[in-house]
Amino acid sequence: MKENVVIIGGGIAGMEAAGQLLSLGYNPIIVEQQDHLGGHVAQWHRLFPDMIPAQELVQKLGESIAEANVFLETRVNFVNRLSDGWNVMLSNGINIVCRAILVASGFTLFDASRKEEYGYGVYDHVITNADLEAWLNGSADRRVPFRPESMGFVHCVGSRDMKAGNTQCSKVCCTTAIKQAIEMKERFPDSNVYCFYMDLRLFGKKYEDFYINAQKQWGVQFIRGRVSEVSETMEGRLQVKAEDTLSGRPVKVQLDLLVLMSGMVCNEHSSRMAGMMGLDIDSDGFIRSRDNEYHIVESNRPGVFYAGTCTGTKTVPETVCEARSAALAIHNYLKGR
Amino acid sequence: MIDRIASGFNPFVIPFLAGMAFVLGYCLISMIRIVLQLSHADRKKFLISLVTPGVIWRNCRDIFCDCLLHVKLWKRNRLLGYMHSSIALGWFILIVLGHIEVLLFVPGRINLFYYPIFFNFFVAENESTVQGKVLFFLMDFFLLVVLSGIFLAMLKRLRSRLFGMRRTTRHSLTNQVGLYALWAIFPLRLLAESFTAHISGGSFLTVPANWVFRQFLGNDLNMLPTWWAYSIALCVFMVVLPFSRYMHIPAEMMLIPMRNAGIRITSARRGLARLEVLSCPNCGICIDACPMSADRANLKDCTVYLTRQIRRGNEKRIDEISDKCLLCGKCQELCQVGVEGPKLRVAQRASRKYPISPDFSDIDVKGSGISAEKHEVAYYSGCMTRLTPSISRSVESLLRKAGVDYTWIDRDGGLCCGRPMLIAGRTEEAREMAARNMELIISSGAGTLLVSCPICYRMFTEEYTLPGIRVVHYAEFFDELIRQKRLTVEKSDVCYVYHDPCELGRGCGMYDGPRRLLSHAAFLAEADRTRGESVCCGGSLGSISLDFEHRKSITMSSLENLYSSRADAIATACPLCRSTLARYSDRPVRDIAEVIDNQTKES
Amino acid sequence: MDFGFGINRSSTIDLTKTDNGLFRRVCSEEPGARTCMACGSCSATCMASDLSGMSIRKVLLAMQRGQDIRHMLSKCMLCGKCTMVCPRGINTRRLVLTICRLYD
Repeated sequence: MKENVVIIGGGIAGMEAAGQLLSLGYNPIIVEQQDHLGGHVAQWHRLFPDMIPAQELVQKLGESIAEANVFLETRVNFVNRLSDGWNVMLSNGINIVCRAILVASGFTLFDASRKEEYGYGVYDHVITNADLEAWLNGSADRRVPFRPESMGFVHCVGSRDMKAGNTQCSKVCCTTAIKQAIEMKERFPDSNVYCFYMDLRLFGKKYEDFYINAQKQWGVQFIRGRVSEVSETMEGRLQVKAEDTLSGRPVKVQLDLLVLMSGMVCNEHSSRMAGMMGLDIDSDGFIRSRDNEYHIVESNRPGVFYAGTCTGTKTVPETVCEARSAALAIHNYLKGR
Repeated sequence: MIDRIASGFNPFVIPFLAGMAFVLGYCLISMIRIVLQLSHADRKKFLISLVTPGVIWRNCRDIFCDCLLHVKLWKRNRLLGYMHSSIALGWFILIVLGHIEVLLFVPGRINLFYYPIFFNFFVAENESTVQGKVLFFLMDFFLLVVLSGIFLAMLKRLRSRLFGMRRTTRHSLTNQVGLYALWAIFPLRLLAESFTAHISGGSFLTVPANWVFRQFLGNDLNMLPTWWAYSIALCVFMVVLPFSRYMHIPAEMMLIPMRNAGIRITSARRGLARLEVLSCPNCGICIDACPMSADRANLKDCTVYLTRQIRRGNEKRIDEISDKCLLCGKCQELCQVGVEGPKLRVAQRASRKYPISPDFSDIDVKGSGISAEKHEVAYYSGCMTRLTPSISRSVESLLRKAGVDYTWIDRDGGLCCGRPMLIAGRTEEAREMAARNMELIISSGAGTLLVSCPICYRMFTEEYTLPGIRVVHYAEFFDELIRQKRLTVEKSDVCYVYHDPCELGRGCGMYDGPRRLLSHAAFLAEADRTRGESVCCGGSLGSISLDFEHRKSITMSSLENLYSSRADAIATACPLCRSTLARYSDRPVRDIAEVIDNQTKES
Repeated sequence: MDFGFGINRSSTIDLTKTDNGLFRRVCSEEPGARTCMACGSCSATCMASDLSGMSIRKVLLAMQRGQDIRHMLSKCMLCGKCTMVCPRGINTRRLVLTICRLYD
């Protein structure tokens, strides 16, 4: 009889950890709220920096967990502590007793309509990064014009913003904006593409090359200034106001499409789960690891482990690495090491 | 009744007389000083009003209703009302009855100031007493009324919630001395009159008490010390009065005529401002009223503490309190005396000197957004609405649907209306901005100025002179369009609770208009505290020093109040309230214009 | 002799010789001023900026570099939009009033 490990969340972190646990000889059980595995990545078009289709990654991970138990459209109703483990009650009526739980509940995309001044949901041609990925994946979106002359990307929407309640940097948006800008340029080579940024944080492998490419090959225009407000001209075009902080003067530009780079905020269900299991919440709203230097996948409770963005904003490679390390940590824990 | 003491004098009246002379002298001098502090025009206005028959009548009526009956307190809480009117009115009647007694029985002594107060000491019963039975009864009755009030006052210190107050003022030492002296006066009077009741007579209270005392006290030795104690208690109260909150008794009697004369606060400390500070009874109703008291750190920043610090001359705290206030106006709305807390604070802010003064002379507003052709309606969205484009978009959409000939005069930016500058205390600069804006608005040639921001609306109606231009808030304007059938609104089944923006509700008195408009499109629920008592959202520009993170608790308490209505969503009519509430709300927050626009068909 | 150029004052800001006393005094009353990350939201949203070049971001920077800020600051209308948009939650209205008060 293989030992159960409950994995809360079927995104790439949960999937990768499940695959590793399977090969280590455990019985991972993935509990996923949505009707599909792969989480946010499954909705994405291509991944930076090598532009591989996101579906490819999700598919690969899916193959590795073919033998795992997966409950889709299922929620964790209740978790209670047993003398030497946990009892997890699911919304489909199934009860699981296990010694280890992996929390991989991920993040929630910031609700861009909360930044009222950007007019998401008010103006016809304001979309989010997620909307654009869906459109790139082929779903119809009337908000994306047939032939946009110019378009803008607003970095840091709901990130590094005390007013939105999130002071953290979402890490991936800068690169995502550059990636999306390039993808749009590929489709509309004649259009003007502007990126409005506060700071460009391109820390990962080959991200800087990505940036250089966007400048040199694609002519994406970078404006150092946070967009403060969006209005509509008499003709119905979007008018974006920012300060070009490098020239020290206000700029305005008329656009046909504005893409808001919604950041990562803590998963709204995470705090509910943290409450049930007695997990600590960090000051940024994400779940708190035992420490932020060494014990990132470990929690303050015995047998509870973390992987991925439930503890903070992360990129795809970081998430995948963390999932593997969490699988190993669980293995060591269950072996009594 | 006949005189018991031939000289009509006993040394125990001296403390009373000394206290009385002091308090009358003090009050007279301070009142004269306040009148002298008024500007020449205000002084003239005030003195003329004092001899104008209509105003005299109003003054008498207001003084009777407010100072003696405490009508406003009765409306707020009956127990609180009874407590105050029993003491004030009861005491007043006791004094009047005392004078009647003297006039009736020993008319020759009416020129002795203390005689009506200590009547029972100086007289003895004789065969004519029977005529006085009714008077004696009334004296005892009103003494009982006052005593019941004193009892309630003691109870209030222990259980303020019974009186509808969660928090009460922490009193200073002088206030406490005054309080205990006031509490002591009436039980001592009962005791004193009881000890003399077998000589000077009494009624249902004093006669039985006298009988009880005589059962175990064989002589009259207690009589004189008790009368001394009574006189000393009166003396202490009167000596402390000018330095304690009880100064509000004389001050309010002068504040009412001054307000009826139409005088306004112009300086932070002098004239009317001084009088208002003295009129504050330190009752502490403003503590619960203040939206900032959601955070314990702000408990000492409401108006009652401002007036106290002004009286103490603690400049540092005066500045702190003046800068922190949101200027929501709720303390003034609920104040029984009518202390204008917000105006006192703005006057204090205005008293500061700045080496850098704003200068807008070289700002060119001409040509910005004003189109050459004239339109019926000029829409002025204001600064804040630019950050909530959903509002201006809905207003425009409704204007289009109704076929109104309009222009949006600050579409491409414009000048601020000046109110934020005004309430920061920079009056002259605000006037300059207003002057330039008036030019702009008049040059648009429109007959109607449509406003969607209550801050601008209040500024336009209070400080601007726009001849021939009707300034209208959209709440009224769209309601008219609906009545004229130029807009067809369909009622949805969503239930909204309306949050009164401070500037529109308490500021401009517009409570019904927005509700009427909203009810065309949705069902309405009311929060626990609503209209004049609604809770500021915490986003107000009125506060200079409250930081972003310190406003959250205020917003949360405002939301808690709105949640009490159990409505599905929150509607308001102010861009600042809308974004502040939406930041933390667990349910949708909409501007009324958005709600109406969603429910209005394209024509 | 004309070499085609004169000897002008160096345009370099010498931070060792810069007098940023005003900035330090302002910060002691308004510590939020130090948290500015120069995103430019305040200037972009400013009602006076368009008409006069006012920018609270530039004012903060100029004070740190020892430059005069009087002209820019005199254009502020205190409307409060910058306070609304500042992602660092700086109380810019009080900041402006503090600078106006401490300026010498």
